[in-house]
Amino acid sequence: MKKGYSGGSALPADKRAQLTRGTDNALNARVRMVRAGMLQNVWWQMVSVVVALAVLVSAVVVAYARTDDAGASGSFAAGSANSRLSIGLQLAPTNLDIRQTSGTALDQLLIGNVYEALLTRNEDNSVSPGLAQSWEVSADRLTYTFHLNSGMTFSNGDVLDSADVVWSIRSMMGGSLQGSSGLENFASVTAPDAHTVVLKLSKPYSQLLWNLSGRTGLVFDEKASASGASAASYDAKTQALGSGPYVLSAYEPGVSATLTARSGYWGEQALNRHAQVHTVVVKYFADPQAGLNAFTSGDVQVLAPISGNLTDAIKNDARFTFKTGEGTDKYVLAFNNKTGGGSASDGTAGVLKDKRVRQAIRYAIDEDAIIASRGGTDAALGGPIPSLDPGYEDLTGLYKTDLKKARALMAEAGYGEGTGRTLKLRLMYANTYPAEIGQQLRSQLARIGIDLDVQRVEFATWLSTVYKQRDFDLSMVDHNESHDFSQWANPDYYYGYDNSDVQKLYAQAMEAVTDSERDALLARAGRIVSEDAAADWIMNYRVVTAWDKRVQGFPLNMNQVNMPLWKVSLGEATVGSTPSEEGGAR
Amino acid sequence: MTGSFRRLRRILSRFALFLVMLWLVSVVIFLALRVLPGDVAAVVVGTNSTQAQYEAVRSELGLNDPLVVQYGRWMGQVLSSVWTGDLGTSLVTGQAMSARLASRAAVTFPLIVLSMVIALIFGIWTAVASLTSPRGWVRASLRVVSQVVGAVPALWAGLLLIVLFGRGMGMLGVLPAQGFSRASLVAALASLLLPALSVGIITGAQFFRYTRSALLDVEKDDYLTWSMAAGMTYPQAVRSTGLRLATPQIISVAGVTFASMITGVLTVETLFNLPGLATILLSDISERDLPAVQTELLLLAAFFLAVGFLIDVLHTWLDPRVSRGTMNGTQEVRA
Repeated sequence: MKKGYSGGSALPADKRAQLTRGTDNALNARVRMVRAGMLQNVWWQMVSVVVALAVLVSAVVVAYARTDDAGASGSFAAGSANSRLSIGLQLAPTNLDIRQTSGTALDQLLIGNVYEALLTRNEDNSVSPGLAQSWEVSADRLTYTFHLNSGMTFSNGDVLDSADVVWSIRSMMGGSLQGSSGLENFASVTAPDAHTVVLKLSKPYSQLLWNLSGRTGLVFDEKASASGASAASYDAKTQALGSGPYVLSAYEPGVSATLTARSGYWGEQALNRHAQVHTVVVKYFADPQAGLNAFTSGDVQVLAPISGNLTDAIKNDARFTFKTGEGTDKYVLAFNNKTGGGSASDGTAGVLKDKRVRQAIRYAIDEDAIIASRGGTDAALGGPIPSLDPGYEDLTGLYKTDLKKARALMAEAGYGEGTGRTLKLRLMYANTYPAEIGQQLRSQLARIGIDLDVQRVEFATWLSTVYKQRDFDLSMVDHNESHDFSQWANPDYYYGYDNSDVQKLYAQAMEAVTDSERDALLARAGRIVSEDAAADWIMNYRVVTAWDKRVQGFPLNMNQVNMPLWKVSLGEATVGSTPSEEGGAR
Repeated sequence: MTGSFRRLRRILSRFALFLVMLWLVSVVIFLALRVLPGDVAAVVVGTNSTQAQYEAVRSELGLNDPLVVQYGRWMGQVLSSVWTGDLGTSLVTGQAMSARLASRAAVTFPLIVLSMVIALIFGIWTAVASLTSPRGWVRASLRVVSQVVGAVPALWAGLLLIVLFGRGMGMLGVLPAQGFSRASLVAALASLLLPALSVGIITGAQFFRYTRSALLDVEKDDYLTWSMAAGMTYPQAVRSTGLRLATPQIISVAGVTFASMITGVLTVETLFNLPGLATILLSDISERDLPAVQTELLLLAAFFLAVGFLIDVLHTWLDPRVSRGTMNGTQEVRA
């Protein structure tokens, strides 16, 4: 009936001739069809075909994608058997291989939940028994004897004993694994019997016990690890196999991870640790606003961190609790102490070697204004050691914002007011940190005659340009690790800070006999670094955690590094009144 | 006989061209990505690492091999994947690339298709109405509204939709606004609805303009006048004759839009936290997982080229004048 329109190419010659003179015929035919009520509109045909196709494609693809992924949905339920909690976090681990891959997102997800260390790290950054139920340190502080719990198993049923501990620690010795730097002065590790491990040092190292509560002290199943027998091996990048209270039951990189309470966990008796929530779904929201949306809509019941500025919108909501936790995040504005930055073309090469310029920058920066603009939850930090770390001392009084002093120091150094010379400096930092900070620093430093060129780049670019090639004047990073003062005692670190007094004090601190002696030495070293203006410490970033009031016991301090989930429980009052769950769709 | 032979030969030569283009694209992609500063090993070991840790990861990932070897390894993987379906594993996440891309495509493609459906229905319907509505103010306001809507960024539209309809936030909090649910087909479609609307309405406003101008072109050539002379009303003429003749133009635009939407839905995927192709591409680039990025870009390029090819085929099928032209027109002389 519509051949006149579509069948041109295959038509015999006479029909084609009819076509060219027969528009009338075609139109007449059309009118007849309208009269007969059988007009089939091309447009509607097309639309219905497209719709049918769309539904079909969606159905097929979604059905195909419906793998075992209960974990991606995040309902909230109390009650012990099917209790379920969803947690929203920001930074996702790149992969799960905790021995090869850096990033505290891995510590946060796996340590204390799936993997366990010889010792346990507490919320106040102290250590307590873990796989080792007790330990002794010899008088010369060179021999550590650990007594392991009995009856320990990995989640695959393998027994965990001293052989696994020795194997895990020895595998660190090549120096190529994450955490191996925590074994300074290491001499030997042996297992006199199945429940005892003896670790010997060549020189005292006061940080050893704390290190053994982190990556350095993690114990892996020798039999199931890649270099062991391959029969029971697992892929460490996409799977995790440990001795902890939870097992990793599903994992989608960058999106979510599902942890399920392990039945028959050895620590229920030995450590009195009972996982109370059966299923915990961790979801990653790179965009803070997306995380907030998920939290307020009930898709996640815990959100950490929540941006200080975003909390205003829901601060008065009675369903939620907000708390600020202590942490060891240090926003370090690093100076290139080694080359001194600057550029040869305008005669400023090495300008940051001039202590007066570094001091001027510290006086010019108004950290309180930056903190206030971010919602005021972060803490001022005047030196390299944060409040939860050994050797902390409040140094915020050292370089209180003082533009007069700053300008005077700049003039002495030959820049700024009166000299007619502007100092051009580059600040490079990763785009994972807010753009506003760069702009604030730029305008604050402009006040003392520094023209700051702010370059916000990808983290990988920052790593190669600043961290590896040391091609920078100023750089800003959130150094969130704890116990990381060694950076200032290592002239080869990217700060390039080389001060023999600091190095000596640090070495003494590491060999200190008592903790208080160590803390005093570190405090002295920290003060020198700050007085030297080796960097500016913009703030001690503090994580605000938001949770649904029915969630109890969620770790607060340092929860971006250490998030033991066995402590978390769900309010009993909520049984049978789970919120906003229609048909369990989400 | 000779006609279909010629068409077959044409298709084959275009296919050969398609392959050559793909190979060129692969070389360009490979070389261009090496210009990026930084490497995946540095990302993996991070800022508290020693040179030994960095070197160990580098050699494990094969980053010390000469470029030619790396290119050969990648091409070998891609070529063998044609029959094995195995695109290798991601350097960073250790996941199988094929499974990874499939699970992401399972979000992005339904999203694009849904957006396209919304855009086509919305765009074409309003374009027709803007010509045929008996009320002048409707015709005028449709034009203005589509201009305004077409200028809205998808990001803002998405935010607006979340504020209006997003569960937990919205005034009419009914629809999921975060993440992708695989619990059921209905849940999956529901989690795509708001993102698809925010892209679809805006793209629809663009379709409105294309469709409308295509319809006006048809009108200029007197097709509508002739149709009306044969007894159709003006709306009938626009709907049946006008749309029929404008279809090839609309298809061209729709095809290109469809292909470019793969990256076009990026902002929306981020806003609604959808685990789609765009987000994976971004994270792989930022982690410098170059083999993964290469493969993803190559597949996107292949998809783009394939859509272009399909549009051509559709064109000849939909517009009789095109195929007749190739049968006894200028092509004849060259052949």
